[in-house]
Amino acid sequence: MFKLNLKIALRNLWRNRIITSINVGGLAIALAAFILVVMYFTYETSFDKTNPNYNNIYVVGRIYPDFKTNYTSPPFAKAIKQNFPEVENAGITKRGFFEFTMKNGKNTLFAKNFMQADYNAAKILDLKPTGGLEKPAGEVDRLSYLSEESMKVLYPNKTDNKPEMVGMGSSNSGITSKINGSIINNLHSNITFDGISIGNEIGQGENYGMNNYTTYIQVKPGTDVANLEQKITKLYRNELLKGETDQKTIEEIKSISTFLDPLSNQHLKPKAGNDAPYKILIALSVLGILILVIACINFTNLSIAQATKRAKEVGIKKVMGAYRFQLTTQFLAEIFIQCLFATVLALIVAELVLPYFNNLFQINLSVWHIDNDLIWQLPLILCLITLIAGIYPAIVLSGFKPALVLKGNFSTSKQSYWLRNSLLVFQFSIAVIFIIGLFIINSQLKYMRSEDLGFTANQVVYIKNQTLFNNPVKFGSLNFESVRDKILKIPGIKSATVATDVPDGAENGTNGYTFEGVQSSLDFVDVDFDYFETLDIKLKQGRFFSQSFSTDTANSAVINESAVAKYGMKNPVGKTIKGCNIDYKIVGVIKDFKAQGFESAVQPTIYTIKNPCGNYKTQIMLKIEENKMADALATLKAQWPQINPKDGQDFRYEFLDELYGKLFKKQEQLQSVFFAAALLTIFIAILGLFAFAKYITNGRIKEIAVRKILGASDIQIFKLINRSFLVMVLLANVISWPVAYILTKKWLETFAYRIDLPVLPFMSSALITILLTVITVSIQAKKAVKANPVDALKYE
Amino acid sequence: MIRIENLEKVYKTEEVETTALNGINLHVKAGEFVSIMGPSGCGKSTLLNVMGLLDKPESGSYKFIDTELLTLNDRERSNFRKRNMGFVFQNFNLIDELTVFENIELPLIYNKIPAGERKTLVNEIIERMNIVNRSGHFPQQLSGGQQQRVAVARALVTKPKLVLADEPTGNLDSSHGNEVMELLCELNETGTTIVMVTHSSHDASFSNRIINLKDGHVISEKINKSRNEELI
Ligand SMILES: Nc1ncnc2c1ncn2[C@@H]1O[C@H](COP(=O)(O)OP(=O)(O)OP(=O)(O)O)[C@@H](O)[C@H]1O
Ligand SMILES: [Mg+2]
Repeated sequence: MFKLNLKIALRNLWRNRIITSINVGGLAIALAAFILVVMYFTYETSFDKTNPNYNNIYVVGRIYPDFKTNYTSPPFAKAIKQNFPEVENAGITKRGFFEFTMKNGKNTLFAKNFMQADYNAAKILDLKPTGGLEKPAGEVDRLSYLSEESMKVLYPNKTDNKPEMVGMGSSNSGITSKINGSIINNLHSNITFDGISIGNEIGQGENYGMNNYTTYIQVKPGTDVANLEQKITKLYRNELLKGETDQKTIEEIKSISTFLDPLSNQHLKPKAGNDAPYKILIALSVLGILILVIACINFTNLSIAQATKRAKEVGIKKVMGAYRFQLTTQFLAEIFIQCLFATVLALIVAELVLPYFNNLFQINLSVWHIDNDLIWQLPLILCLITLIAGIYPAIVLSGFKPALVLKGNFSTSKQSYWLRNSLLVFQFSIAVIFIIGLFIINSQLKYMRSEDLGFTANQVVYIKNQTLFNNPVKFGSLNFESVRDKILKIPGIKSATVATDVPDGAENGTNGYTFEGVQSSLDFVDVDFDYFETLDIKLKQGRFFSQSFSTDTANSAVINESAVAKYGMKNPVGKTIKGCNIDYKIVGVIKDFKAQGFESAVQPTIYTIKNPCGNYKTQIMLKIEENKMADALATLKAQWPQINPKDGQDFRYEFLDELYGKLFKKQEQLQSVFFAAALLTIFIAILGLFAFAKYITNGRIKEIAVRKILGASDIQIFKLINRSFLVMVLLANVISWPVAYILTKKWLETFAYRIDLPVLPFMSSALITILLTVITVSIQAKKAVKANPVDALKYE
Repeated sequence: MIRIENLEKVYKTEEVETTALNGINLHVKAGEFVSIMGPSGCGKSTLLNVMGLLDKPESGSYKFIDTELLTLNDRERSNFRKRNMGFVFQNFNLIDELTVFENIELPLIYNKIPAGERKTLVNEIIERMNIVNRSGHFPQQLSGGQQQRVAVARALVTKPKLVLADEPTGNLDSSHGNEVMELLCELNETGTTIVMVTHSSHDASFSNRIINLKDGHVISEKINKSRNEELI
């Protein structure tokens, strides 16, 4: 029986080979997309999963009335461990806040994130130095490791695992440090680093105010986490309340609580952080599923189109004594074979596309490796699509009553009319939504690229530097003047400045400032002369900082329009704003500029040269003439050790416009994804339509012949065949417009600076889909129209 | 062999209810060849479908030898049908994707006959039907008469006790029609019971007994003397 069914299936497929290959091909492409999404999903949801205690590890965070944070203080972990027996282990880590320069002869390593961890944290987090995790000997001893990649940079030929002495900072600094070996830096983990130093205890002597650490706890299996969370909150408050008498502080402390956040949450939706990655992942998964469903619909629609024909087969087999169950399995098996074939093709396609995908998402997935979850996912997917694609023929076709279908003039077209047309409309609706989405993402990106930023990032070079140029002097910082003088001697360099922040989207510091009795929080940026000139920022009132005013280095401030608005200032120039115990005199107001990109609104900001409460002022920016850029950079590189003697050995720079351009990366990613999705859905929907129209017109050849004999013109017949399809596509557009409108509006609302929702994409998507439909259907209709009616009628 | 009593069948559609069978009583003896005649729409095909367990009546009783068939469930009906009945249709109803040989083989497969035996049985009947050199052809490559012979062969290959034929000659010219009728007679002579619906009194004259239906009733029965004498 199987053999016979296989024969029927294969002969059927062969007869409809074009349609079949279109369907299988379309499914393969969709499946490839889906496989990529599944792989990405698996990857994103399995960070740290290799940790043997994955399910029992929690990050301890704190909740203030207005924010949540993962940063905690060193004594907290110890207190938790001591007080709660269900906590098996507790440890802390500290991120490297500074970029370390390490040297071995000519090899230089810039370690951006040199972490610290106590031994307990290292154990909890399953950190694996080569040769195994060792317990540091004494109280203060540290064991330092470099990630294998970092080690390669410093010691490209190292094969043993012996300790090395590396130079820290410039080669003339004379500071050396011991590196005990290398360690695996698992990129598929929440804890990544260039290097790490492990001590028995870190942060000794630091108190509850030093919230610079991350606390990890590992609980015993079966612990009531909600209960533990409450107990830890109580403990935390008690610890803070020790010796506290001020009533207001006591009240404040009582409003603080703590939370336990599972390790499994950290990558996608940490409680203290945003869950955008999670949302993106979900959106991407929905996208993948939609594409797959659309491809499966092609199968269902083809089954519907063939139903009349298959109905006869069902009827005969039932008369011969076949059970319904046998027929159900037969149809499912038929679809299964096609899906299996599509899956094999899909794997090949996925393999081909993977490099682009990896590049886009900055990950490193591969189809072929042993512990790949695809091994169990793929059969599951295969069964799933077989079900989706085969459910209609399996259930409906096998249910036909033989007495009905064998009468001779049985037709299923009426029964399935609604189903098949709704499926087509559904496919096109999704395609239309993606097309509209793509157009609108494009418009917003175009707007972002062409919109006036309020400053010019072009020809501005940002130089990485570790020398402080703070005012007032802090940790032995230098005055920038001498550096500037040397820089400006180089031909082509128009201006030079240093500041705490560059406009690359990074957040500024904030602090409280009082203006005419009103206190409010402002962003602050500590700058130097020529900051505004270098960035070409527009002045609204007053003046920029200038060396001809000696007060500028003492108590002058420039504020932006938003700050003026925030305080409701009138004629601010000349007035006083107080902050960090300095009465600043406002000397100028600048126009707002989009330092943070397009997503957040320009923050009310104050710019000062002197700021005792400021951050490290290290970010050097130069404006260089375009045509002298290369020469100027070469000269800078050559002279940098003399220009910036404290940190002069390594001249590293970036172009500010490229740096700022990275802010668009997320949107560009989205654009690529939507481009692929729109292209795929419309392609697969059109494939389906092509196959469907072919089948439908074949079925109508006789009708068309009769009409032609009765005097219908070719045009009338084209119209006749196109009409029903056109109606469906129009309907699909009308249905998807409101959906697309809501979705794109929501997306646009994530931008503080955005385009008005344009109408054109809606029109264009309608035009595109209609045009594609007419072309697709007419190709099929042409055959029917061109056929000689006498021939068509001869075959009964 | 067949005792049908008070059979009623009503078709309900959105607008109308059609009573296709209205209290049919019918007995068929083993080895009999019965023709059913009557005007179009009087319920002949419906009756045949009910007898073939392809359709369920509203009420009544249908006994085959001693088994009541109307109380069987779907699976039991399938089993009963494939073991005891064969069908011939007006419009042949061959599966287009299967060759002549495979079409005839189909009921044997559903009866779980081993492959070797199937081959013998099919070849035997193909020979008998005189379609040997067509066994590899597909239905579209045959004339109507040849297709109907294949359909008859398919109905006979399981050696059923009862063959139900709904206007088997309806789509055939008279010479091809006669061929099919002769086949059925031969079959009847080997002891198979046949119930046939027909519009042609010529075809009916091959049978033992002619039953006339009108509006879902049996209005008359006629013993076909000439044929019965022949039998004796
Ligand atoms: N599936 C159905 N749904 C509704 N009514 C039906 C259905 N099948 C048959 N009928 C009705 O039942 C009655 C009997 O139909 P049946 O097919 O048995 O007639 P028939 O005697 O075989 O006619 P003919 O000689 O034309 O084949 C007719 O009135 C017909 O309209
Ligand atoms: Mg009939």
